Amino acid sequence: MHLTFTLNGETIHLDDIPEDMLLVTLLREKLALTGTKRGCESGACGACSVLVDDRLTRACRTKVADIAEHTVTTIEGIRGTDGGLSDLQQGFLTYGAVQCGFCTPGMLIAAEALLRQNPSPSRTEIRRALNGNLCRCTGYQQIVDAIEAVARERNARQAK
Amino acid sequence: MNRLNYVGNPRIQNVEGAEKVTGRAHYVGDISVPEMLIAKVLRSPHPHARIVELDTSPTLKVPGVKSAITHADFVDHGRFGWPVKDAYVLAYRKVRHVGEPIVAIAAESEAAAQAGLEAIVVRYEALPVISDMKRALDPESPPIPETSPTGRHNLCNTHLLRNSEPDPLLAHTEEADGTPVVFQATYSLPHQEHAYLETEGALAIPEPDGGVTIYANNQSPHINRDNAASVLGLTADQVRVIQPPVGGAFGGKDDILYQSTAQVAKLALLTGRPVRLILTRPESMVASYKRQAMQIYLKLGATPAGQLKAAKAELLVDSGAYASMTPLASWRATMHAAGPYRYEAVHVDTQAVYTNNGYSGAFRGFGNTQAGTAIELAVDELAERLEQDPLDFRLRNALRSGDRTLTGDVLNQEVGLIACLEWVRDRSAWTDKRAAYAAQAADIQRPRGIGVACYFHGSGLGGEGVDFATATLKIEEDYSITLTCGLTDYGQGSHTVFALLASETLGVAMERIRVLRPDTQTALDSGPTVASRASIVGGNAIRVTAEKVAKLLNLAAADLLGCGPDRLIRDGEGYVGPTEEPVAFEAVVDRAREIGLQLSAQGRWQVRPIEWDFKQGTGEPYFGYVFGAQVAEVEVNRRTGRTQVLHIWAAHDAGTILYPKGALGQMYGGITQGLGYALSEAFRFENGVPQARDFDRYRIPRATEVPEIEGTYIEFPHPDGPYGAKNLAEPVMIATAPAIANAFYQASGHRVRSLPLPRLKA
Ligand code: FES
Ligand code: FES
Repeated sequence: MHLTFTLNGETIHLDDIPEDMLLVTLLREKLALTGTKRGCESGACGACSVLVDDRLTRACRTKVADIAEHTVTTIEGIRGTDGGLSDLQQGFLTYGAVQCGFCTPGMLIAAEALLRQNPSPSRTEIRRALNGNLCRCTGYQQIVDAIEAVARERNARQAK
Repeated sequence: MNRLNYVGNPRIQNVEGAEKVTGRAHYVGDISVPEMLIAKVLRSPHPHARIVELDTSPTLKVPGVKSAITHADFVDHGRFGWPVKDAYVLAYRKVRHVGEPIVAIAAESEAAAQAGLEAIVVRYEALPVISDMKRALDPESPPIPETSPTGRHNLCNTHLLRNSEPDPLLAHTEEADGTPVVFQATYSLPHQEHAYLETEGALAIPEPDGGVTIYANNQSPHINRDNAASVLGLTADQVRVIQPPVGGAFGGKDDILYQSTAQVAKLALLTGRPVRLILTRPESMVASYKRQAMQIYLKLGATPAGQLKAAKAELLVDSGAYASMTPLASWRATMHAAGPYRYEAVHVDTQAVYTNNGYSGAFRGFGNTQAGTAIELAVDELAERLEQDPLDFRLRNALRSGDRTLTGDVLNQEVGLIACLEWVRDRSAWTDKRAAYAAQAADIQRPRGIGVACYFHGSGLGGEGVDFATATLKIEEDYSITLTCGLTDYGQGSHTVFALLASETLGVAMERIRVLRPDTQTALDSGPTVASRASIVGGNAIRVTAEKVAKLLNLAAADLLGCGPDRLIRDGEGYVGPTEEPVAFEAVVDRAREIGLQLSAQGRWQVRPIEWDFKQGTGEPYFGYVFGAQVAEVEVNRRTGRTQVLHIWAAHDAGTILYPKGALGQMYGGITQGLGYALSEAFRFENGVPQARDFDRYRIPRATEVPEIEGTYIEFPHPDGPYGAKNLAEPVMIATAPAIANAFYQASGHRVRSLPLPRLKA
């Protein structure tokens, strides 16, 4: 099929894409965007999380046909307004939320999706929003710390 | 000592963090090179079978398949393994566990590789399966290994510990006053899967000189290189192993990576093309090694007043199909079997056996997770019989500085165990909660409980091997500093620790330091990255190396400032003499070069050798210990039967904390793996067949299942660690499962002697 969609702010046209190709395959193998990881390929770990429009989506469970004409954001499309790290990316570093880093892109996408939907989540709400993203290294606590702090900063900036 | 700028600075961030949060870090599965072939592996569906026919010729006719290899393509059938050489790169004659690799193929695409696998002709003759450890010891049962390392059938190895004579003490306490002060029970601890989020993978690129370069997510690149060279019939310098970022390991990325590496290396050499193998999750779950299941019998004796007197333990350890690290992990279990308490006499006897339950090896805690769980469950039961508060009972018997450990050697170090127990007691409001939960009505829907456990953990390898590391350091043309060490960072933050130690020792900004990932061509051998030794042993090697370069710089600075090196003081990165203005680091480097000094060095650090007599079961097993305690609070839902952990308090005596953010992350992560071990993570084998192949059947803790953790490090510096640091990554998980199980008992009235906790439906 011919596929048109918006990827990280750019319009992409691709020809000869099998309709049942998975989004994770398209991203990693056709477009060399390897920040989206494969942890299970069965929808259970969240390592392949991307945003489709503003929705948290598993790229290993999504056919490319389903994203035609939609907007996809991967970790490569997350950056700060100055082109450097986004506040969440910086927050993950500041709060020690990164160990092996394999879950990190998916976690950041899940965090971004949460904050777009709920700008002032409680710690329990943050944990709930991360429930589909497994991390074997951190025990989640510093990830929750980071997201909580970034939400607070964003709200403080908005209030000004 | 000057005030420290980097060691212990809470602002220090992971030096590899930026590439990870941006998705730029290239893990092995992210590296794709032109002409690369995809490898796949045929694995045994049988727990125990003879291979009676194996024909790979049909697979070579499948379009796109380039090569298929078996044991016959390797020297000595690809036999490998340390300390016991009993495993194969690809199965030879027999398969001994489900998931054992038999044929590896390389093809142009994933689909071609899959078709190629299906074309292989293989016939098995099923052999009787041994799943039960006791049965494995029955001389009538079929032998699993090719040759028994002990000469005794399926007995893989034994260990013993002998400290005085416990029998008379245990008998005496029984008779003297008739109080129930001798307690005995058997505990059964399950297998556990590492479940690192990144599965195993390796990429091999053939070199023009007949050698091969390998990118593999292994823990110990030098061991991998030596092993690959020997099964491929190459010299060590023809094989280069480079380690990309690793997505978690926890002990699990050794032997299975040696197999995978040798497979892709051979396929690359045969086809002349790069070959990459990435295991799928089901493959990883079935084929990778596990934490050993153990059955632990304990007999403890105490005075009626609650003084522990003697202990006896018998450990039965499931090594599975191959020995892997079980001989060492079962030794560590033996050395910790009676826990961090004062005894007059202790005997431990350990047997590790071959079965067809997958195979087991290294996993965080390395045998002490199982041994520490058993003793902490037993101590709780004993305290109850003595009608003593379990935390008081532990305080009464806990090791203090100058005490003798269970092996009888004297603790010549500061011991933070009491401080850890007191901290978790006070922070958790133990006394009040314990009383409140004891007074709960028996029929409430969601009863709560609070429980405690503590642990000790020998530092470094101890009697497990020569404990050393090597590092190199070089000041580059642009005044940046390059560091190498053969010990790997697979997420535990050791590269950050290395960078901050070099900064501290040299007195330069951390931004100058670049830690290279291990590459066997540039980094020197440092032994295996296991036993939480990267920070201590690797850190000391970095410190020793940096001290050498710091000394050279001092000479240059003294020359520049016209004074003796002992008159120098540091002002930030600058050097100041008695009278002069400060001079910049760059100027000092320039002067060193003008004098002709070589601004690079290599250093090695080795742990003071320990003495353990494996035959007599006596000696001093480790150069030092770390200690810790945890309290868990749980709620049992009688309607659903589920146990929710509400809170965990944790204190660990890790000496000086080098990298505080990382240290807390290790603590939270370790506790979460312990929580999984308590609640959901038994990896089951039914007659040798693994019962889980994915994250739906094998449940690791999710964010809502992990409570808020309040943790602290109690800093009793150790003279042998770099800046007084001790190890922490492994031991922090040991107390979690037993603390949860002990809390579960208070909540439910249900004692457990096995994990995971049962679901108690009303
Ligand atoms: S890889 Fe998509 S959820 Fe695990
Ligand atoms: S940091 Fe390793 S899985 Fe999350």
